[in-house]
Amino acid sequence: MAVRIEPRQEVPAKHLTRPRRARWRPSQGVRSAAASAVLLAVLFVLVQIGVATGALRQTGLPVPTDVVGSTLGLLGTGAFWSDFGRTCLEIGASIAAGCALGFGAGIVFWKLPLLGRVFEPYLVSFYAVPLVLFYPMMIVLVGINAGSIIILSSVMAAIPLALNTRTGLQGIRPVHLKLARTLQCNARQTLFSIAIPAAAPMIVAGMRMAVVYALIGSIAMEFTTAQNGLGYRIRYLYETFDNKTMFAYILVVLILSVVLTVLMALVERVLLRGRR
Amino acid sequence: MTRLTKLRESQFAGAAVVALVASAIWQVSSGLSFVIPSPAATAEAFVQNFADPRYLSDIGETAQAVAQAFVIGTVLGGAIGLLLGLSAAARTWLEPLLIAFNGVPKIVLYPVLLPIFSLGGSKIVMGVLFALFPVLINVAVGVRTIPPVYWKLGRTVQASKWQLFVHILLPAIRLPLLTGVRLAISLAVVGVVLSEFFATRFGLGRVVLQAYSHGEYAQMVSTILLLILVAFTMSVLLWRLERRVR
Repeated sequence: MAVRIEPRQEVPAKHLTRPRRARWRPSQGVRSAAASAVLLAVLFVLVQIGVATGALRQTGLPVPTDVVGSTLGLLGTGAFWSDFGRTCLEIGASIAAGCALGFGAGIVFWKLPLLGRVFEPYLVSFYAVPLVLFYPMMIVLVGINAGSIIILSSVMAAIPLALNTRTGLQGIRPVHLKLARTLQCNARQTLFSIAIPAAAPMIVAGMRMAVVYALIGSIAMEFTTAQNGLGYRIRYLYETFDNKTMFAYILVVLILSVVLTVLMALVERVLLRGRR
Repeated sequence: MTRLTKLRESQFAGAAVVALVASAIWQVSSGLSFVIPSPAATAEAFVQNFADPRYLSDIGETAQAVAQAFVIGTVLGGAIGLLLGLSAAARTWLEPLLIAFNGVPKIVLYPVLLPIFSLGGSKIVMGVLFALFPVLINVAVGVRTIPPVYWKLGRTVQASKWQLFVHILLPAIRLPLLTGVRLAISLAVVGVVLSEFFATRFGLGRVVLQAYSHGEYAQMVSTILLLILVAFTMSVLLWRLERRVR
């Protein structure tokens, strides 16, 4: 039901026949990172040459080195930090509210299966984001401000987490719950010491999706209409034909999302430490 | 089991109750605030829209773009997913970039696409970018988690590449593939309509924004509801199919 990236299964044969002093070989992660860095560098050089020779004139792309330069220039301006701060506030608030809401809802739906079954079709279909389309309704109700963006982004972030929490809790092996009964755990102990740790991989996968949804939701809504924020600024700069600054802002959004993705991968590694 | 308990346990009945409660809340709140159109006014606008040929052509425009984005996105996502699932080298080179790109709010790339693909094409490309990833990720993970014994069976019966694909690979990944396709439909709608919010001449996204700026809230809500209803119905139908296949 939920998109979930399984950890790769290692081939055990390699470990069995490992020589005492193997030739040093970088791990899969390091090789992957190096390969993507090479790909990005090649792309950068190709675009640089293409724009410089005029072969890409039709695409309206600026020279990549110029974009890097104007991005660095942005960091010294107060206007940039005000946009950046507003977007970070929205993303942070919706991650916090969305995780609390989704986690709570997932537990309630697990405890009360009837309620869970009734809401399931709504969760499953709203999970695929048509919620962004409610934004024009939200700005009529709440106004064009960070509030309406945070409310919708929180709901968007909460849904995958609620679904994953419920699925994870339902998938606990019965022997774990039997253990809880044997040890005479009370309801709170059963939930926090047995059930949630047992369902942790699914819950953390849901959290990663919640973060991605909060980010995508916030920026997409700013892009539609807002008064402030990175998404809004990109649209504004497009409409005022300030191509160079616009690309700098786009680069900032790309970097911000990559940083969030990497952070979540680290959080997952810390929270799931000691498994496998 | 009596009729009544059966009804109480029916998911459909419960979901319908939730919808009714939501409508009741809507009705009450429309009385409290003038910016909220009443359900009746919205339904009226909803019906009247279908008599308007301009609105119908907007629907056609959006539906066409969504259909193209969905088909291209699913095929492309499936192909890249297969490549990633089957080839370790492709994983090494592409996986980190694809995971990073999945987390990017793709809508910010819309101004970059516009000069390259023009107004009509850009929204399809945006829909493709949205629809691509669920299929890609689900297919890649699905292929990678096929039990090795399936491949051994294929080798034992000396299946050709094509036979391996049709008789072993596709049935083995049918569930994640269906999930990806279900998400791809809704995301194609979102990608296209968000692009229409930004810049376009025709389409339902433009209708919504125009109604918003003219203060015609009943028209705006009815169009949003139309989009949500279509995406909702499609994904519930596919979701039920998914559960049947399991």
